[in-house]
Amino acid sequence: MSEAGVRREMREFIEENFLYLHPGMELADDDRFLERGVLDSLGFVELVEEVQSRYGLTVEDLEITEESFGSIEAVTRFVTRNRTGT
Amino acid sequence: MCGIAGVVRPHTESPVEESSLLRMARALRHRGPDGYGLVLDRGAGFASTRLAIVDLPHGWQPLEAGTGGGLLVYNGEVYNHPELRADLAARGETFKTQSDTEVVLRLLERDGLAALDRLNGQFALAWWHADARRLVLVRDRFGVRPLHYALRGDGTLVFGSEAKALFASGEIGAAPDLEGLDDVFTLWGPRPPRTPFRGVRQLPPGGLLVWEAGTVTAERTWWSADLGGAGSPGDDLEDTLRDSVALRLRADVPVGAYLSGGLDSSVITALAGEEAPSRLRTFSVAFGDPLYDERSHQEEVALALGTTHHTVEIGPTDIAAGFAEVVRHAETPLVRTAPVPLFLLAQEVARQGLKVVITGEGADELFWGYDLFKEVAIRQLHDHDPQQALALLDGLYPYLGAGGARRGPAWRRFLLETGDHDDLLRSHLTRVEATAAVKAFYREDVAAELGRDDAVGRLRSELPEAFGDWGALERAAWLEMTTLMSPYLLAAQGDRVAMAHGVEGRYPFLDHRVFELAAALPPEQKLNGMRDKVALREVAAKLLPASAATRPKQPYRAPEVAPFFGPDAPDWSRDLLSPTGLAEAGIWDERRVATLVRRAEAGRVAGVRESMAIVGIVSTGLWHRAFIASDAGRYPAETAEPHVRIDRTERATMEQMA
Repeated sequence: MSEAGVRREMREFIEENFLYLHPGMELADDDRFLERGVLDSLGFVELVEEVQSRYGLTVEDLEITEESFGSIEAVTRFVTRNRTGT
Repeated sequence: MCGIAGVVRPHTESPVEESSLLRMARALRHRGPDGYGLVLDRGAGFASTRLAIVDLPHGWQPLEAGTGGGLLVYNGEVYNHPELRADLAARGETFKTQSDTEVVLRLLERDGLAALDRLNGQFALAWWHADARRLVLVRDRFGVRPLHYALRGDGTLVFGSEAKALFASGEIGAAPDLEGLDDVFTLWGPRPPRTPFRGVRQLPPGGLLVWEAGTVTAERTWWSADLGGAGSPGDDLEDTLRDSVALRLRADVPVGAYLSGGLDSSVITALAGEEAPSRLRTFSVAFGDPLYDERSHQEEVALALGTTHHTVEIGPTDIAAGFAEVVRHAETPLVRTAPVPLFLLAQEVARQGLKVVITGEGADELFWGYDLFKEVAIRQLHDHDPQQALALLDGLYPYLGAGGARRGPAWRRFLLETGDHDDLLRSHLTRVEATAAVKAFYREDVAAELGRDDAVGRLRSELPEAFGDWGALERAAWLEMTTLMSPYLLAAQGDRVAMAHGVEGRYPFLDHRVFELAAALPPEQKLNGMRDKVALREVAAKLLPASAATRPKQPYRAPEVAPFFGPDAPDWSRDLLSPTGLAEAGIWDERRVATLVRRAEAGRVAGVRESMAIVGIVSTGLWHRAFIASDAGRYPAETAEPHVRIDRTERATMEQMA
C-alpha cells in the first residue's frame, strides 16, 4: 500500500474511533493527538494495537513515542518505513 | 436485616404524617418482606421493614428501651450478640427478646457510642432520644449496609436505608447531583458522602452523625481503615477466619453460600461447610458464553466440598431484561452490567427459600488479589529489572480490550507511564483513565459545569493524613476499599441486588478482626512476586483441592454491549439512546452518542472505553426515569397492617393530661 493509502486509512481510523468525540474539530495530518486532546493514553494503546494488527507490524517498546505515533503524519511515516524495511 | 427510615423535626409541634411513614415503609419492603413497624412521635416518625432472621417471633422493630430511654431502628446483624448479651446480663440488664436489636439498643443506652467498638457485624442504625431531640445515625465499618439522609432547610432530617425512602417521604425531591454522577463515571460508584442525588448524602463506612433539634452537631467516623501498621499479626489467620465464618452462620434460618469458583468464596464455603449444622447449599452464576463462564471450577469445588449446588445460567437476553430493575435498586447509573447476574442469583436464592448467604467479598482488597496490586508491584520492579517487569505487564487485565490475553508494548507503556511516579493515587489512575473516557460523551454544558473540580481532585483532597507515609501497595488497598469496594462492590453489586429479593449477604472477610490481621501481615504474606493472597492460599491449601487453592484470579464480569443492541435488545434501550431519550436526562451529547450507537450496531465497539460508555449512558437514562422524571404517584403507601405500631404522640398527650 502506498504512503497515501496508509495516511488515508489512519485518518479514517482516527476519525471513526476518536474524532467523533470532538464534533467540529478539524485535524490536520501533522496536528499532535495529545496537544489537540484527540487521544488519551488508552487511545494510544488502541492506535498502536490497530497499527500492529492492520499492518502486521511488531512494535517495540522504545518505538512508542510521539515521534512515531503522535499524529496521522507520524503514524503514516512509521508504518511506511517499517513496512518497507528501511 | 431490614430497611429503616425516619423523619425528625426540630420541634415537637410539627407532626410527621403517618401516611409519609407508610410510603417510606413501602419503598423499603423489598428489604423487609416479612413485615414492618412504625413509631409516631411528636415531631418525629420512624419505620422499619423486617427480614426476619434472628428471634423470628419477637425481633420486631422499632424497639424502645423503656421509660425515658431511647428508641432504635436498625438494619443489619451484630454477630457477637450472644456474648454481648451475656456481658450485659452480668451487669444487671434484663431482656425481653432474643434479638440482636435489643442487645444493640441496651448496649448503646448503657455505654453510649463507645459501644460501637464492641459490635462485630454489618449494620446501619438510627438511635432516637425524644427528650433531647437527638438522633444518632451509624453505619458499619466497611459500609456493608447503606444509610442515606438529607437535611432540609428547616432543620428536618430525613433518613432511610435507600434514597428512595427519602423521596417517598414527600419531604425530599430527587434531582441529579453532577458531582455524584461524575464519581460514578470516574470510580464506578458515588463516593460517600456523595450520592447521585442533589442534597442526599450517605454516611461513609464507619461513619456516624448526630442531629440535635435541627442541627447536625457531629459528623465523623467511629472507625477507619488504618493500613499503616504492618508488623506481626497477633492471631492465626485460619482460626480467625474460621471464627468469623462461624459467627456469620448464626441465624434462626438456614444460611447458604455464593460460590464463584475462585479462591475466596471456596475458602469461605469450605469453612462454612465444616461449621454448618446441615449440608450447605451453594449458589453460582454461570454464563452460556464461555468467555465469562466459570462453571467447571464451581462444580469442582462444590463436588469436593459436598454442597448442594444451584446454578443460575445467564443467557443472552437476561442482562438487558434485568438491567432496569437493577438500576432502580442500585439508585445510580452503572458503568458495568456485572450487578445483573448477582441480582438474578439472589432471586434464585430467595426462590429456594433462603434469606442469608455468605460470600467471599473483601479478600482481594485485604490480601491484594487484584491485578491492580500486581501492577503496583511491577512498577516498583521496573526500577530495578525493566526486562522482567515488561514481560509481567502483558499478562495483566486480560479482560480489558478486545485483543486477548497479551496486549503488547503500548499496553505496557500505558500501565507504566500513567501518572507521575510520586503521585499518591497512581495505583488507580489507569482505571480512572479508562473509566473517565465515558466523560468524553458529556454534554458540553455538563462538562463546563463540572469544570476542573473532578472526582479525582476531590478524592485527592480527602486522603487520610498518614496516607503519604504508607507503602504504595497499602495505599492501593485503601483506595480500592474506599473507592470501589464500598461505593460499588458492596452496594450496586452487593447489598442492593441481594436485598432486592430480601437476601442478606454476609462477608466473613469483612470481619474487622480479619481486616486487622490482614493489615498487620508483612507485605510478602499478601503479594510475593506475582503470587497473590499468599497467606490466604496457605489456609486454602488445607481446605481445598490443589487446583482450587492455586487457581489464579479470574475477574468476574458480564456481557456489556451486546445486551443493548441487535434484534433481542429491549425497546427501551433504543429509546433511551435516541436524541429524545438522551434529552430527558440531559447529561450526554446527542451527536457523539449517535455515532457511538452506530458503531455499536455495526459491531465495532469492542474496547472497554466505549463499552463502559454504552452501559453508563443507558443506565443514566434508566436511573433518570426511575427517580428524577415526573414522580407523581411513584411511591404508594403500605397497605398491610404493621406488626408494630407505637404512637408516642397519644402517650405524650395522655401523660400531659395525667
